[in-house]
Amino acid sequence: MATCSPSGVLATKVGAGCAENPYLCYQCKRCTAGCPVADQAGMHPAQIMRAVQLGQYDMIFEDKFIWLCTGCQTCTTRCPQGIDIAGIMDELKIIARREGKVHPDAPSAQMFKYNYDSFARWGRMWEIELIARDALHRPKGVLAWLSLGPKMLLKGKINPTLKKGDTDAMKRMVKTAESLTEAKQHEGGKG
Amino acid sequence: MSPKTLAYYPGCSLHGTSAEFDASFRATARELGLTLEEIPGWECCGNTAAHSINRLLSLALPVNELAKVEKDMKLDAVAVPCAACYSRFKTGAHEMQDPAVADDVKSVVGRGYDGGVTVQNLVDVYHDAVGLEALAAKVKRPFKSLKVACYYGCLLTRPPDVTQADDPEYPTRMEAVVETLGCEAIDWNYKTDCCGAALALTEQGIVDDLVARIVSDARACGAAAVAVACPLCQANLDGRQSEIARKDSAWVGLPVLFLSQLVGRAIGLGDKELGLSKNLIDARAVMA
Ligand code: SF4
Ligand code: SF4
Repeated sequence: MATCSPSGVLATKVGAGCAENPYLCYQCKRCTAGCPVADQAGMHPAQIMRAVQLGQYDMIFEDKFIWLCTGCQTCTTRCPQGIDIAGIMDELKIIARREGKVHPDAPSAQMFKYNYDSFARWGRMWEIELIARDALHRPKGVLAWLSLGPKMLLKGKINPTLKKGDTDAMKRMVKTAESLTEAKQHEGGKG
Repeated sequence: MSPKTLAYYPGCSLHGTSAEFDASFRATARELGLTLEEIPGWECCGNTAAHSINRLLSLALPVNELAKVEKDMKLDAVAVPCAACYSRFKTGAHEMQDPAVADDVKSVVGRGYDGGVTVQNLVDVYHDAVGLEALAAKVKRPFKSLKVACYYGCLLTRPPDVTQADDPEYPTRMEAVVETLGCEAIDWNYKTDCCGAALALTEQGIVDDLVARIVSDARACGAAAVAVACPLCQANLDGRQSEIARKDSAWVGLPVLFLSQLVGRAIGLGDKELGLSKNLIDARAVMA
């Protein structure tokens, strides 16, 4: 273990994106102990960390865990090694998407994309649009709204209209951020 | 006390499903002598989607808003009542300490940000911008020892490097605010546990379990209501409870109120202004 270093090959993929050093993890499992969704998938946070150290990305991407992570930051707050585990989860989501390895049964992954598309287009996120796109692609998802949806409508909690943001500024920022990220990706060699 | 002006970033939820949060926040600010100036043409902060799709964009979006506050509006503080947006603003500002990140962010935003803006969440606004003494002086209809569980959820305090929260595991600043209103803040176990956040859109079963655990503990510890400072926490704790009750006839709903609604009631604002009719678990009895 002592010879492992972030300049080695295995975990560089994650480190390159979020500047975290996964080799600091010594498997105390405190991240797992406080994670609200640790028991909801095949893997839990400490196992993900081990797999990152070993470069076993396929194992991570074949499991749903990263798409259930809520980003609650409990792991990051409690890790005795100061690792930003939630940041690593984000980076894994980014890598999975880039490499076309998004889990086939992870509606949250699609939801992130609808959300991103929505604010990129309108300058603001339009909640109704997210639910509508999800319903189109995943009719089963509609069932979950059958009773709550109408209640929310009646209470006036669903606003069908959208006030757009500064869409030109948004489009410019999205474009620049995406191309800069891509350029860095190439610079850093094959990701 | 001189009148204070804060820039105001409502965020998408306050313009959408949580209109009552926006309304109650604005109404309390007005009564408490704060002037809110909405950031002109504000953009989405990128919320939970941007940081899991494009890290640079997720930092640039909030920093762009901060630059508007600093350079165009020439103000030194912004109120960001949505806890999720607040977290993105604080993270953006925090990451700018890394010169390489700051450089990239600058290319995306098109100008620099010099770090001159304090980002305040809902609790900060009442606790610091208004101040507990000034708030106490405005209380006209104090609660008569309503027992309240203050729920912070994840992002008001975590991660502490970013939020600078004194006690991220057991914060007490919201308690100080509700006690100023005459409420009794209870001690309980789940005040910083996650409610499932955006999973409510796709994995409702998981969220129902988390919500049931949080609300049951609040009730077991004696609370008659839960106070929140985040639209997603409110939507989950309130909305999912109404679903849990549908499946479990023994479930007794616990009203979930925005802190701004509690403050508003105590300083004498009416139910309509506070949007009380929008709560799914009826809150009017505890607010009477
Ligand atoms: S808390 Fe930190 S050191 Fe412990 S297992 Fe998790 S990542 Fe590793
Ligand atoms: S951020 Fe994700 S991995 Fe970490 S504790 Fe929260 S849900 Fe679990």
